[in-house]
Amino acid sequence: MRLRLLFTTALCAFTSITVSAADLPPASKPIPQVIDQYIDAAIAEAGVTPAGQADDATLIRRLTLDLVGRIPTTAEVDEYVKSTDANKRTQLVDRLIASPGFARHQATLFEAMFNPEGNGRGSGAFRQYMVEAVKENKPWDKIFREVVLANESDAKTKGAAEFIRGRLSDADKLTNDVSVSFFGVNVSCAQCHNHPLVHDWTQDHFYGMKMFLARTFDNGGFLGERGYGTIKYKPTKGPERTAKMMFLTGAAIEDPNSKEPTAEEMKKEKEALEKAKAAKTAPPAPKFSARGKLVEVALKDVNADFFAKNIVNRMWHRYFAAGLVNPLDQMHSENQPSHPELLAWLARDVAANGYDLKRLTRGLVLSKAYSRGSKYESSPPDSKLFAVARLKPMTPNQLATSLKIAATDPAAFVGKKPEELEKLLEQAEQAGRGFASLISQPGENFQIGVGEALLFSNGERLTKEFLTDGNGTTLGRAKTMKEPKEVAEFLVKTAYGRAATTDEVNAISGYVEKRKGREAEAYRQVLWALVTSPEFRFSY
Amino acid sequence: MPRSSHCGSPEHSLNRRAFLGATGAASVSLAADMTQLNALASPGVNDALKKTQKRVILLWLAGGASQLETFDPKPGASTGGPFRAIKTDVPGVMISELMPKMAQRMKHTCILRGLDTKNGDHGSAAITMMRGRRNEAAVRYPDLGAVLAREMGRADSKVPDYVTFYTQTEGRSMAPGDAGFLGARYAPMELTNSNYPEFIKRLADISDLDHKERSDLRELLGKQFVAGRSSETLSSQNEAYERVRGIMASEKLFDVTQEPQKVRDRYGPTQFAEQTLIARRLVEAGVPFVRVGRAWWDSHGQNFETHQEMVPELDHVMATLIDDLKDRGMLDDVMIVTLSEFGRTPSINASLGRDHFASAWSSTITGCGIKGGSVYGKTDDKGNKVVAEQVDAGSLFATIYEALGINPEKNYYVGSRPVPLVNPGIQAIKQVLK
Repeated sequence: MRLRLLFTTALCAFTSITVSAADLPPASKPIPQVIDQYIDAAIAEAGVTPAGQADDATLIRRLTLDLVGRIPTTAEVDEYVKSTDANKRTQLVDRLIASPGFARHQATLFEAMFNPEGNGRGSGAFRQYMVEAVKENKPWDKIFREVVLANESDAKTKGAAEFIRGRLSDADKLTNDVSVSFFGVNVSCAQCHNHPLVHDWTQDHFYGMKMFLARTFDNGGFLGERGYGTIKYKPTKGPERTAKMMFLTGAAIEDPNSKEPTAEEMKKEKEALEKAKAAKTAPPAPKFSARGKLVEVALKDVNADFFAKNIVNRMWHRYFAAGLVNPLDQMHSENQPSHPELLAWLARDVAANGYDLKRLTRGLVLSKAYSRGSKYESSPPDSKLFAVARLKPMTPNQLATSLKIAATDPAAFVGKKPEELEKLLEQAEQAGRGFASLISQPGENFQIGVGEALLFSNGERLTKEFLTDGNGTTLGRAKTMKEPKEVAEFLVKTAYGRAATTDEVNAISGYVEKRKGREAEAYRQVLWALVTSPEFRFSY
Repeated sequence: MPRSSHCGSPEHSLNRRAFLGATGAASVSLAADMTQLNALASPGVNDALKKTQKRVILLWLAGGASQLETFDPKPGASTGGPFRAIKTDVPGVMISELMPKMAQRMKHTCILRGLDTKNGDHGSAAITMMRGRRNEAAVRYPDLGAVLAREMGRADSKVPDYVTFYTQTEGRSMAPGDAGFLGARYAPMELTNSNYPEFIKRLADISDLDHKERSDLRELLGKQFVAGRSSETLSSQNEAYERVRGIMASEKLFDVTQEPQKVRDRYGPTQFAEQTLIARRLVEAGVPFVRVGRAWWDSHGQNFETHQEMVPELDHVMATLIDDLKDRGMLDDVMIVTLSEFGRTPSINASLGRDHFASAWSSTITGCGIKGGSVYGKTDDKGNKVVAEQVDAGSLFATIYEALGINPEKNYYVGSRPVPLVNPGIQAIKQVLK
């Protein structure tokens, strides 16, 4: 009885955060303005002084890392800092979003999101699918459809099917991963018992979701789906139950074929499957597709709230290093968003605008909230206020590509046509891939291990692949300079994209002067110190 | 999501800051990460626990050693095989005749004979037996080494927290060390190609002085950036670099030739023996957890020849290790565990082999808070099933944690979800704890 009561309360709480549309700012208001309206209001209410806006050099570094996955070249920084154009930030954002690097970097991030255990290096086909999807700005609901429906007979969407294919042997994992990736809901706790803390999730929800996915199987290298099949499970209390297709909101689907097939039907099916195998084609689709039903119900009316809020929360996390709801897979009534109205508005906005992720991204990074500084001299305010920008550890690809750029003579990037420059940058990315595979993908509560510090301190690859001093390299250029002070300024600028401070120039030139007669070695050590220090390792 | 304090209340961050101010810039990295680990390392906190720092050597018998040819012989039974059982220094306890040296040392060791772990597949059983439970769809659990690195390692430690040797090829990819949700900070130093860790040695193209001063320059250049910024990840990077020189200095620990010839002769010349000796050197220097993997136990054919060859080596190495630790007064602080992914079938197959068997097999625990000479668990006459005192992976782990002074019910947090060290409701086996 008491449980029932709690459950009802929980549902009420959930309703209370489903903010009524009438209370929200108008749909026509630009995304950045709505973000700043809510973020600033909460900061003011908390009586906190937010960090000031980041300077131009910091902002272009942050934007370039976030949008295209690398540090900017010094020429890009200089041009941006020098420009007096009032629209320069918007222009920069639009240029970066339109560049091929955006599709590659975002695809890498999506890949890591869908396959967190793969350290960002899953099957090439899925990544390629995501690159194309980002390139053509495929709507998020379309990506969802293509991933879940997994049509392998269409070459264009075949890569998307890898998500399901990779989880075929484990329907529980498939169920949870679909739920986490697309709805921000981790239902795994409810597999063995009703969720102990969250009354929204019961075993019925877990098995209800599993029913949509468990009929999928492999038939001679092609994904197939049965038109029948049930799941029975033993609840912690009471008799065994037969699961019913049910979405997270409790919306159930009536399945006309929930009964098991007769021996005759089984035989017919087997023949059809053998035929498909022999013909090397996909098995016939069922009349009633459970996965199809999942897509249908998940995007229908209020049910779509999970879908829309999840992608908003994930994109918010991508640019602000924390979600409006944390952890990202715990969207439920007992884990309220930091800014419920903002989340509701953004979710409504993304759904109303055809799940256009470029538009959402642009809106997020053009807000003042995004461009705050990351330094806060006194005790920093509650991080939920987004009053100070958070540090983001670079991903393996960001780090390796950025290392390659910092190690390349900045002159190599100057005076190039945009296509040529793009090509050079893509080469830098390619050149860094091997090294990137040695670095850990940051996840929740990420901590850098001593393994990385040892790799950078004593690994041959950093020296051989990045810190070389031939023609066209940063160190090669440094060798042509006369004064250690000049070298110090040059190296700091190349690594950090900003002018060196007096202290830095003194420390570095002092270091070099102590190594008279072997300056080239000294320069290499200085560049090592610069790129291993936190100012390089993090997006700030 | 910062991990910070468990409840995340503002009081904690306040104290943290006060602590930071009081101890000055030198301890920034220490103070900014108040995980349990660092709390242990910080002055005045839990001195008692620190004093009795425990360590573990896991002898991982990869592929599945036979309980019948080691710690649970069934001589005379149709499943017993050709070897006899012999008396030990513990009245009433018999083990295989292949282990005469251990037979003289059973008073230090506890045998768990009632393991029923349900899983006979190498890959997933290795995952279960290294973690005390199966991974879930949404939770990748840290393995024993990572948990102990977290619980018993020190933030400023000059030695690695978790070292694993696995040089043989059989089954290696199935049982890599894994920090699971604890992340890279607690990931093992894996030695798979040689007894010498990767990247522990400075490259030839830089002198030791330059290596050191380069690292000082790095720290100096980072100061300006760190001021006014705090994050768990930022602290972890500084901590990691601070540990590099210390860990490099521990290089010699991995060099078995540093050990007197007399000691090396005691252990013997095999790879397993050498790695076990290195493990002893490591735990002596404060490494909380070392796993020595010894493979090729997967005797589907010619089980008896295999065990006739391999058990005496295990017997000798394990006995030598016990003696060595005892001589050094370390047996109360160092635990030796023998464990596999599973045992082997009592029934003997057509190739005179024994197959995978997870229903009734054995593990041993020696040292620390374990009752030496105890036997827990009983299998039937043929060894087909556990008839009393059954143990699963969870209760084995709870027992190990409890013996080490770690509360098995302690929670980690994965996001907002509390995850205890062992699954809820699982208890340590009190009968084998001192």
